[in-house]
Amino acid sequence: MTSGTIRFIHKNKVLSIHNPDPNETILNFVRAKLGKTGTKEGCAEGGCGACTIVLGELKKSKIIYKAINACIAFVPTLAGKQLILVEDLVSGDGSLHPIQKAIIDYHGSQCGFCTPGFVMSLFAMYKNYSFYKDDIIRDSISGNLCRCTGYRPIIDAAKSLNKISKFDFFKRNQQLSISLLKKIKLKSIVISNKNRKYFAPKNVNELKKILKQYPNSKLLSGGTDVSLVVTKERKDLDSLIYMNSIDELNYIKKNKNYIEVGATTPLIDFELFIKKYFPDFAQILKRYGSTQIRNICTIAGNIATASPIGDTLPLLLSLDSQIIIKDKDKTKILPLNGFFINYRKTKLKKGQFIHSIRIPLLLKSIFKAYKISKRIDDDISSVCASFNVELKNNKVKKIRVAYGGMANIPKRAIYCEKILLNSSLSDNIINKAKKSLEKDFKPITDVRASQKYRMEVAKNLLEKCFLEIKQKKLIRINT
Amino acid sequence: MKVDSFVMENRPHESAAKHVSGYANYIDDIVEPEGTLYGAIGYSKKAHAIIKKLDLRDVWKSEGVVSVVTSSDIPGRNDIGAVYDGDPIFPKKVEYFGQPLFAVAATSTELARKALQKVKITYKNLKPVIDIKEALRKKLYVLKGRKIKRGDPLKKISKAKNYLKNSFSLGSQEHFYLEGQIAFVIPQEDSDFKIFSSTQHPSETQQIIAKMLNQKNNTINVEVRRIGGGFGGKETQSLIFAAICTLLSKKTKLPVKLRMDRDDDIIITGKRHDFYSDYEVGFNDKGVVEGVRIKLASRCGISPDLSEAINSRALLHIDSAYYLSDVSVENYLCKTNTSSATAFRGFGGNQGMMIIENIVDNVARYLKKDPAKIRKVNFYQKNKKNITHYGMKIEDNVINEIYSKLIKSSNYKNRRLNIKKFNLKNKYLKKGLSFTPVKFGISFTTRHLNQAGALVHIYCSDGSVHVSTGAIEMGQGTYTKIAMLISNELGLSFDKIKVFSTRTDKVPNTSASAASSTTDLNGAAAINAVNKIKQNLALFVKRKYKVKSNKAIYKNGMVKFKGKTFSFKSLIKDAYLNRVSLSSSGFYSTPKIHFDSKTFLGRPFLYFAYGAAVSEVLIDTLTGENKILRVDILHDQGRAINPAIEKGQIEGGFVQGAGWLTMEEVNWKSNGELTTHSPSTYKIPAVNDTPEKFNVKIFKNLNKENVVNKSKTTGEPPLMLGMSVFFAIKDAIASVVNYKIIPNFNAPATPEAILLSINDIKKKL
Repeated sequence: MTSGTIRFIHKNKVLSIHNPDPNETILNFVRAKLGKTGTKEGCAEGGCGACTIVLGELKKSKIIYKAINACIAFVPTLAGKQLILVEDLVSGDGSLHPIQKAIIDYHGSQCGFCTPGFVMSLFAMYKNYSFYKDDIIRDSISGNLCRCTGYRPIIDAAKSLNKISKFDFFKRNQQLSISLLKKIKLKSIVISNKNRKYFAPKNVNELKKILKQYPNSKLLSGGTDVSLVVTKERKDLDSLIYMNSIDELNYIKKNKNYIEVGATTPLIDFELFIKKYFPDFAQILKRYGSTQIRNICTIAGNIATASPIGDTLPLLLSLDSQIIIKDKDKTKILPLNGFFINYRKTKLKKGQFIHSIRIPLLLKSIFKAYKISKRIDDDISSVCASFNVELKNNKVKKIRVAYGGMANIPKRAIYCEKILLNSSLSDNIINKAKKSLEKDFKPITDVRASQKYRMEVAKNLLEKCFLEIKQKKLIRINT
Repeated sequence: MKVDSFVMENRPHESAAKHVSGYANYIDDIVEPEGTLYGAIGYSKKAHAIIKKLDLRDVWKSEGVVSVVTSSDIPGRNDIGAVYDGDPIFPKKVEYFGQPLFAVAATSTELARKALQKVKITYKNLKPVIDIKEALRKKLYVLKGRKIKRGDPLKKISKAKNYLKNSFSLGSQEHFYLEGQIAFVIPQEDSDFKIFSSTQHPSETQQIIAKMLNQKNNTINVEVRRIGGGFGGKETQSLIFAAICTLLSKKTKLPVKLRMDRDDDIIITGKRHDFYSDYEVGFNDKGVVEGVRIKLASRCGISPDLSEAINSRALLHIDSAYYLSDVSVENYLCKTNTSSATAFRGFGGNQGMMIIENIVDNVARYLKKDPAKIRKVNFYQKNKKNITHYGMKIEDNVINEIYSKLIKSSNYKNRRLNIKKFNLKNKYLKKGLSFTPVKFGISFTTRHLNQAGALVHIYCSDGSVHVSTGAIEMGQGTYTKIAMLISNELGLSFDKIKVFSTRTDKVPNTSASAASSTTDLNGAAAINAVNKIKQNLALFVKRKYKVKSNKAIYKNGMVKFKGKTFSFKSLIKDAYLNRVSLSSSGFYSTPKIHFDSKTFLGRPFLYFAYGAAVSEVLIDTLTGENKILRVDILHDQGRAINPAIEKGQIEGGFVQGAGWLTMEEVNWKSNGELTTHSPSTYKIPAVNDTPEKFNVKIFKNLNKENVVNKSKTTGEPPLMLGMSVFFAIKDAIASVVNYKIIPNFNAPATPEAILLSINDIKKKL
């Protein structure tokens, strides 16, 4: 059963829109159509957090609150969710939410333009956690830029929430919200608006059919790239397939050999899971993007975008990950190595989609990953490096070295790996391995770094990796 | 000291409750009249070219387009230059990548922006000049530079025991106000216009638009309630958007809103001046600077804009907090094919200070001494060494006291030892520590701008007070502070006072909210208006109630004359019934200041704001990554009107200054195209860039001058506290070779710049 009507909850009422414009952002919708102007546009590319809203989603009869950037999310993706805006935090009698009060009390607003976004990011934190440790606070607002305060009062305001009751207006209305969310439980959505089409399939079978019929459709997950076609390039996206509505692809499973991650699993869930197995992977994910971005973005999206600076890609490459690709009839399992053919080009053909990713569990390996950027959070790497090393009797038994930001695709350093394989970790070998990176890569100069710097840092990260292995400790400014 | 009940209170920002609930209206939030159109600006994709043909036919035909404007639609002056010409609204010859060429009004912002892409432009390309050094070589200037001199630096340098010579450069900075540039114009009867602009300067907006339209100033009314950040970026850079929006409104006879996309905003508007300097310095073994010569060149972009005043402020701050007995500076205002560099918090002062801070730092490193100590030996003193290089006697110097207190409270000496130990033990991670001072002159250096007006009404039926001034609320809390001052003057609680939106029809001829002077000037003007009303009341009470003295105490809602006490409310009603004026304008002009720009001598500033910071950083010598570990600040805010607001300015200013000198890097391609025009390519500090330990303390002081509440402004000065981060990073770099060599290190301190400097220093060892 499909529907052209999207239904979502706002202020405990079900709102329906028939065939909404699939290229309209939620930000424009709430400001222009709902007349709620508290949510601001700061950049229209998910980079400043001024447009942060919270979506409530039902998961196992519980509402999960997700802060997202409304400027790069399209209206139809509201289907089946609870929309919460900054104005909605004020209760009917005019009293403010504890977060709002705290920001006032701690002088957390100056010009005030970024403030609604901070309020919403902290609101999601307030709802999802029971105790607000410093790192949770910082992570929750790492995607919200403030040019006035220097952040200290906002951090203090967030800390003060530890001292107050968790019982808010939303908790009081929770049962009603849950029953409404159940009532509008997601159907498959097919929208036709003028010449624009939008599909939100419920399962893989539907996806396959749609892809067969509309092979030129763009697949939409987090939208950090796809949405910018509309908001920045000012082009239309005539046919969109929303992947994140497919629940059966939102999973992580593990057996003794590998971890398998479904295509629509949000990065933030994956990050929590992978921490235990590859702590460095989780660290890189934290810095991959803001909470708002990681709430909706997926590894499959990162792979399909195939950007040379996609941060998960060198990590997955060094871990010998596999990628499961499907189309109407077939399933293929490919190694990720070799999947990227050229700048932003992959082996994925029209009509195919990424189903899942398999990451081998390498129990004997040492896994390390490093990200270099101008800013610690929510910045694009100038160089991202990942190492997977298996040692036996002080010799390298197995080695994978992969880099992002060093070529037009994320790539393994084959020459470098050859030098390291079966070698001891002498200074001489490390130096040779460093030198060999010049054969593996010819990086470019761009806005983030020069060619020279990239090459030097790539070499130094290799050195750092083996230093850390030898010294059995981390040599990093952020630990 | 008088204790006031309504000032020195940590009161939240007057709009805080609205900020947090989304009900604070910015221009994009104003309810639009039916029929409102939406604008977009088409700009040059060449940095230097003659426009041979601007084919707009397909733009006109594009969906939703109602009108298109070009230079031929401008009836009056086609320029928005505030002081000098040079900033055409729509030029014939383009001089930078991003220069506006035409604009569109359409039925939605999206359609207007889409229509822009359909323009066909034929350019005749000319060679662009982007780099400061190239402009210097080719002698391309926006204005003639100047030389200033005190004493005989040449002679002093040649006689000095020690000598250093080098060059140093500083990067630009994008303002990145969170609310982008925006204007909203509603045509009125006759040919009048009501203009909402996100600007720091409504009066200039009014004047520029009147000139553009060939209309009288009294036909243009500009209103600003609040802006979502300015930092100097909306002092003159907002003008072109208000002007173009008005032009679209004039042509269509409809309301028009022009909201800039973030990328276009950054591409079109000017940024901080980046500087290049050559210097030579002579000094004795104690590190005292005996003579210094500096060549100071700034990238001004295509036009003078405010570059003259900004470079002048750089010259006025080339001393930082140091007595320079013999000094000369040659200043060059370079013309480049980049957007016109403009005002940015610090306004050249911070650049001037960085130049000399770097020199003093290098003097210390040359002598293998702790830079903090060498800074101290060069400080201005109280009774000698207290005349600046521009002839102003410093009467309020507290930098020596701040130094002693902060060195102690930050535990500087112990930490210096511990850091040395850490650096000896750690090969790859290194720590650095630095103390830097701030002494920043307060007043507009253009004398006539140091004036302000106000309008105060007291309403007879309930005694509530309405205040209008020329101050723009841009997050600095000026409305809150002015309301607190008035509340204090009238002895009324804060909720009785309303500071209303800033409008050119309420208070005319205002200066920009800039130069850190907004509350000093406008607060004083508002108090002046209140005093006039109080005078009316006193005369009335004396007449009617035969009290002996004019003097009255306004406190806790009561007005106490000698022998007769009224409630404020009843006195106001009484006065009204007896036909006494309860409304007044007010005025203030800063006393004492004078400056001769020809001789570069005088007293350009009423007072100085002081402060200092100690920063500790950690760097990774393999990658150049860096992290601020701890910051201690001691800052002089006089007797603050609202200490919480001042603390916010101090912390926010510090982080913005640290951002300028570390991760914030503005870049142009050689063809003049800006490559850093979005939050994905231009990084301002985020939450994890604030120091892990951040101790901000207030230096207890009173402003010696008669400034409102004896306070000192905290607008710009705290930005310069961020300098300590740069020099701490430099200190960490120097530790790589055990402090034996002076690092060659320029700002901004990106990981790449740090690694480059480390490589350089290792090679020299």
